[in-house]
Amino acid sequence: MYDWLLFLHLVAAFLLAATIVMYSAVALGAAAPGRTLFIADRCWDVGGLGTLIFGIWLALNLDQYDFFDGWILGALALWFVATGLGQSVQRRMAGGDTSAVAAMHWIRTLVVIGLLVLMVWKPGA
Amino acid sequence: MNLALFVHILGAMVLVGSLVLVATSLAARDVKLGYRTLLIGVLPGWIVMRGGAEWIAEKENVNDIDPTPAWVDIGYSVAEPTLLLIIIAAVCSGLAARRGTTGGLRTAALVLVGIMLVASFVAIWAMATKPT
Repeated sequence: MYDWLLFLHLVAAFLLAATIVMYSAVALGAAAPGRTLFIADRCWDVGGLGTLIFGIWLALNLDQYDFFDGWILGALALWFVATGLGQSVQRRMAGGDTSAVAAMHWIRTLVVIGLLVLMVWKPGA
Repeated sequence: MNLALFVHILGAMVLVGSLVLVATSLAARDVKLGYRTLLIGVLPGWIVMRGGAEWIAEKENVNDIDPTPAWVDIGYSVAEPTLLLIIIAAVCSGLAARRGTTGGLRTAALVLVGIMLVASFVAIWAMATKPT
């Protein structure tokens, strides 16, 4: 059970990485076609939901972790920040307002890297 | 161990994310973006992922375990051929971008990227479930 939950959690995290890479290309000046951004946004939606659901499931499934561990609460906080930034980037791109999209994307990228740091080091676990 | 694992996963995320971008670019007939992503994203991602894997293997003496665990074998047998496929896909898409064509070479690169994506998820499964 644990192995499959971890696998699905990782697949969801890799979908988030795909979004980050695709939007990074746009932020660096690549003229990405609409279909690419559509796929990037769907990867973000599915990846975001997947990391949250399977992440919480993993925390509840394992005796060694508690839902209220500092690193899990920190990861949840970062997840909400990243999701908010991601939704904002999607709305702005859809509305043609690209002024702050690059800055918001790079902040989102740092937040996702922060999430990875928490998942690997698990401070306080 | 933690830093090596972080480097390994970060490289793998850049590798897989870049492969998705290459696949969507080639499918949308943007051969130039696909080619550039192979060189700027996929290849460095592979190097960082592979370097991180070797770092972990050395620290944990994984290669000294007899018999070698299946998940380690799967990892190696996915990673090594992937480099060859990256080079072939880069040559195909590079030639297609240079010639300004979107025919057979683009399709060949797209198929190779698809194979690499499937192989990557097999590797992720092996790393997560660690089959014996």
